[in-house]
Amino acid sequence: MTEFEKLRVVTGYEFLKHIRRKRLYVILGLTLVAELAVLILVPVLGEGYPDNVMVMAALLSMGPSLATIGAIFFAGDAIAGEFESKTGFILFTNPVGRMTLVIGKYLACYAAVILLVIFGYVIVSISLLAIYGNIPIETLSSFGLCLLYAGSALSVTFFFSSISKGAMGATVITLVFIMVISPIVDSVLMMTGQPSWFLLSSNGDTIATVYGGYELFMEGLGVSGGMMPFELETPDVGLAVLSMGIYLVVGFLLSIWISKRRQLS
Amino acid sequence: MREPIVIENLSKYYNKFLAVDKLSLRVAENENVGLLGPNGAGKSTTLKILCGLIRSSSGTAYIDGINVAEKPEQALSRIGAIVETPEFYPFLTPQEILSYLGRLRGMRGDGLRRRIKEVIHLVRLDDWGKVKIEKFSRGMKQRLALAQTLLHDPPVLILDEPALGLDPRGVVEFREIIEGVGKEKTIFFASHQLVEVAQVCTQVAIIDHGRLVAYDSIVALEKKYQSLERAYLELTEAPLD
Repeated sequence: MTEFEKLRVVTGYEFLKHIRRKRLYVILGLTLVAELAVLILVPVLGEGYPDNVMVMAALLSMGPSLATIGAIFFAGDAIAGEFESKTGFILFTNPVGRMTLVIGKYLACYAAVILLVIFGYVIVSISLLAIYGNIPIETLSSFGLCLLYAGSALSVTFFFSSISKGAMGATVITLVFIMVISPIVDSVLMMTGQPSWFLLSSNGDTIATVYGGYELFMEGLGVSGGMMPFELETPDVGLAVLSMGIYLVVGFLLSIWISKRRQLS
Repeated sequence: MREPIVIENLSKYYNKFLAVDKLSLRVAENENVGLLGPNGAGKSTTLKILCGLIRSSSGTAYIDGINVAEKPEQALSRIGAIVETPEFYPFLTPQEILSYLGRLRGMRGDGLRRRIKEVIHLVRLDDWGKVKIEKFSRGMKQRLALAQTLLHDPPVLILDEPALGLDPRGVVEFREIIEGVGKEKTIFFASHQLVEVAQVCTQVAIIDHGRLVAYDSIVALEKKYQSLERAYLELTEAPLD
């Protein structure tokens, strides 16, 4: 039996685990609630929906949050859980390499996150079609960036899962790293006029800014640029793609390297 | 004579603690060998090294002549193992878990389905095959662990306290299963239960502080020390608290 055949088996059964877990359906439900909240609150609190479809598309774009939450909740226990809950005593005594197991788990988690992202973008597309009668072509770019962002968030989660003793620790560390530390540093760098293209939070912003940048977004909401205490610089998509690619590859390779060396003692 | 399990000069340190100290022993084909020793003697560590779960600090472990550290996948393809008290993914069923593990070992189709049915029947989980494992007791999980050990009919079984968590009936049933399959398999079996070991094994290896202090047939040990229990008590020190 080749390692590729084993990889297919691992990916298939790891994906089955995600399908069986309640968390997938909870996140799908929360996505629906969040998108509905935007669809209801924007016209209620403002003066109807924005005239520009791009502004509404950016408002509805929950890709970064969705991808981050999906990645963290699906992958936080991917490696750490095998050691913490002792399921590794069964899995690791089988003739399959740790690398194959980690890659299979990664692919299964990615498939589950893609499912979430697709669900989110289906809601966005249906909403835009119903309100404006069209879907901007930039939605495709946003979707593509979101998939790349999901991969990078997943790699970061796998890295923390490979070094953490427990699944909860890995989940919390990743959540704090992506959703607290990265945005704080991003804000500080933005306020001081320094580049922040290498931060995941800045990379995630491109998923919404691809519709027309911060300026269009602010104008659409009736906020003029002068009201901001500092100048908002729209992140460069090319640099963001490069940064996300680095997170994806480095995080993934590190998680494989660490997992291969980790002992189940 | 073939020796499916060979341990040569095996040592393992956990930081500065020496868990296994230059341990050497050989288990002949179709021999059932019990591994006895007090808590912390190095039994589980030895079995974990044999199963590729941890690396030795020095020395070598072979399964069917294959160096476990160098070619773990090849070595693991020849064993079925229960190490410590294993857990299973709670949201899968025994049939799904066994199908997953069977397919990882190259089994498939009707052959795999038939074998899953056989081992589930063997461990008396017939009515639980399609029930999520989250509803299982410790004893039922231990039965499932035994089922996955036998699924691919391996020539070598490595068992670490396999009857842990089983009720008295479960212990008897487990012993019958092991006695049944043990005639054509090599079994290396760590336990604290001397009676259990005496019923399943013909030979015992006694280790203490990571060192092999005796490796002989149960009959020979009983002759020399009057009983297996006395042999154990005389050859081992009280475990550290």
